[in-house]
Amino acid sequence: MQAIQVENLSKTFRVKRKEKGMRGSVKAIFHPQTEEIRAVNGVSFSVPEGEILAFIGPNGAGKSTTIKMLTGILYPDGGRVEVLGVDPTKQRRQLAYQIGTVFGQKEQLWTHLTPHDNFRFFGAIYDLTERETEVRIDELSERFALKDFIDIPVRNLSLGQRIRCEMVVALIHKPKVLFLDEPTIGLDPVVKENVRELVKQMNREEHTTIFLTSHDVGDIEKLCRRIIIVNDGRIVMDDSVEHLKSHYPHKQAADIVEQDRGNEAAGSGDISDASLEDIIVEIYKSQGEE
Amino acid sequence: MYGWGKRNAAGALSLARGRGGRVKGMPWRKYAVIYRLVLLENLQYAANIVVGFFSYAVFIYTFIMLWEYMYRTPGELIAGYTKEQMIWYVMMTEMIWFGSGAASVAREVSTDIRGGNIAYLMNKPYHYTLYVLAKYTGEWSVRLPMYAMLAAGIGTLMVGPLPGFPLTAVPGMAVCVVLGLTINAVFKMCISLFSFWIEDAAPFQWLYDKLLLIVGTMFPVEIFPKALQPLFKLTPIYTVFYGPAKLIVDFSPEKCVEILAAQAVYLAAGCGLMFLIYGKGVKKLYVNGG
Amino acid sequence: MLTAVKNQMRVCLLSIKYNVMREMVNKVTFLTNVGFMVLNNASFLVQWMILFRLRGEVGGYTFREIMLLWGLVAASFGLSHILFARVFSLPDLIINGKLDAYLVQPKNVLVGVITSSTDVSAIGDFLYGIAIAAICGPGVGGFILFLLFTVTGAVVFTAFALLLGSLSFWFVRMDMLQNQMVMGIVSFGTYPDGIFKGVSRFLLYFIIPVGMAVWYPVHVIVRFDAEMFFTVAGYAALLSAMSVAVFYRGLRRYASGNLMVARM
Repeated sequence: MQAIQVENLSKTFRVKRKEKGMRGSVKAIFHPQTEEIRAVNGVSFSVPEGEILAFIGPNGAGKSTTIKMLTGILYPDGGRVEVLGVDPTKQRRQLAYQIGTVFGQKEQLWTHLTPHDNFRFFGAIYDLTERETEVRIDELSERFALKDFIDIPVRNLSLGQRIRCEMVVALIHKPKVLFLDEPTIGLDPVVKENVRELVKQMNREEHTTIFLTSHDVGDIEKLCRRIIIVNDGRIVMDDSVEHLKSHYPHKQAADIVEQDRGNEAAGSGDISDASLEDIIVEIYKSQGEE
Repeated sequence: MYGWGKRNAAGALSLARGRGGRVKGMPWRKYAVIYRLVLLENLQYAANIVVGFFSYAVFIYTFIMLWEYMYRTPGELIAGYTKEQMIWYVMMTEMIWFGSGAASVAREVSTDIRGGNIAYLMNKPYHYTLYVLAKYTGEWSVRLPMYAMLAAGIGTLMVGPLPGFPLTAVPGMAVCVVLGLTINAVFKMCISLFSFWIEDAAPFQWLYDKLLLIVGTMFPVEIFPKALQPLFKLTPIYTVFYGPAKLIVDFSPEKCVEILAAQAVYLAAGCGLMFLIYGKGVKKLYVNGG
Repeated sequence: MLTAVKNQMRVCLLSIKYNVMREMVNKVTFLTNVGFMVLNNASFLVQWMILFRLRGEVGGYTFREIMLLWGLVAASFGLSHILFARVFSLPDLIINGKLDAYLVQPKNVLVGVITSSTDVSAIGDFLYGIAIAAICGPGVGGFILFLLFTVTGAVVFTAFALLLGSLSFWFVRMDMLQNQMVMGIVSFGTYPDGIFKGVSRFLLYFIIPVGMAVWYPVHVIVRFDAEMFFTVAGYAALLSAMSVAVFYRGLRRYASGNLMVARM
């Protein structure tokens, strides 16, 4: 059974261009110049239930746009999306009951309230009864180790504590698919590790499908079995992380690795030694040259 | 309803701060530099100012309709004013009000003091209060002429020119208006400087504005009960709104001299007060360490 | 269907409760904001006392009727800004991509968005309006009518702001227009309709909905007129339906923060 199915998905933004300074502003009034940016350009893929997928690419590649179309935030220009058999554009609410989202750069929490009050609010959003909500809060606060700060207003919490709360909010209704958009951004290594562990646990225990975007190779390496790389709105690679690491046959990647290591390691440029990070950088770069 | 307007000159602030310090030799030159920078920045906001014209136009239009209704017979006098004079009077006071935007002075001083920024600003080689006034002058230099043109346009079209308006007296009127604006800014600064001692000077700022707005801009002082009139003439209403506006609708050289004299006294006293409060505030800051 | 409505109501009530809790964190600021807004509105009494010293009536209104006018504008402006404050900053939410959180919730997007904050000083407006109505005593029936029209007025304020705010999906700078137009209702609505003539009168009934938000209702309170009453109610319903339709049509164009101006 596929959790996510995407066929030929596209989204174009019309962006206004303006030259710098007064002259540019005046010119923009009389000759507004717009430019079409194809953020997502004919993307197709599917994600089976229970998988942890990394969806990565350079800044502006179309990752967030895709994730937003999958969650019903953006309206696609073309193509077809089905998440858990539901079309996000037509049955947005129905879908919302079954998915959870964490956008690392945008908070959904009310900062003046305690995590506990926040969870109650989101319990109501997902139509849980008060009893159901409390049971779930107990369960998740145990798992996410929130007990120490569950009654302290969110604005007084550290970033690491907040992101854990964000994740609890995203999970309060036991979603079948969890979308994580750069969940570890700005976190210190220990908290990052902690977040990854929790994501893994969710996947294992509740069989949650996880759709992850991140610039942090550590996230991908430690969590994901499969990786999709997008650039310029297109998929340039869809492979398992294992396979990518051991078989990525790009000669340049090996060269770069060698250069990086300096002379003492010269000659021992075993391709399989290239780290995932090196490989990803190489793929991004080779895309940029085309 | 009728909230306070919002404007932002933070960008200019940092620019001015970066350069303002190093001009040597001519002590007044630095204020000119600050002025020029803010002026340039504000030219870019000209478009925003034009949008603000709408509020002014709505206000004036309503007052024109109101006085058209209140004056029943041609040539009738209310409180000694003809209909044309009455409407022009309101247009002029509102022009000064809208064109001055003195709230930015209050906001800046309060923010600097409460945010602790003052500690860095007061050690610069300029006097903080004059620095703020120079910036403010850069702001109204753009806004006021634009409102003046708007007022002249609306007035000429909808009410007709004032009979016997002496064009040669325009420079004298302009000086009165400018002095009035400056006096107003000085008084608003004095109120904001109380932030050295009290948590929030905004309520006092508000009371001052309300007094000026209700008593000073809507009607000429003559329309109020006789007993109150001398009292009003002692307040800044006389030098900021009533004086300049009355001069424009009913000019006489003697009146001009009288108002200028009053303004000189007010300005001297206001500045004296401003320096005094600032000096005491700074001393208090040194003692308490901010 | 009924449970869906019940659940939506539960979220709304929580939302309002939390909004108020947020504002109550600093009690002094809260009370100052409310109190000063009452004073602010009361200060305009001076203006009308002066005008009524000159004439016994202004634009066909007695002093008491002007007060009702002021009270109704304040109360409905207040109510809309207490319950639906966010609708008045909708352009910012649309342009800067701040609707995302509401779009992933299994609840009505529009309701979720507009109830997500409150404006404290509006409580002062509301209280002032209600107090004026109680003092100017249009009788028990009149008072009930006043409350009803406070609701329709708040609906008109909200729907009008929603309509103009939703245009942000298509055009830039709608924040300015929205704000100016909403304040236009206040500016014109606090004066009697009798002083406006010709084109402006037409505009104030049909473009800026001052007539339907304020003037008709005051006429009905002073002298009951069933036709006018139903016109106001119908207008409020129609404007709401239209603005909601425009919002949802625009939502398809929502760009979630991807619509920043690219500088060359």
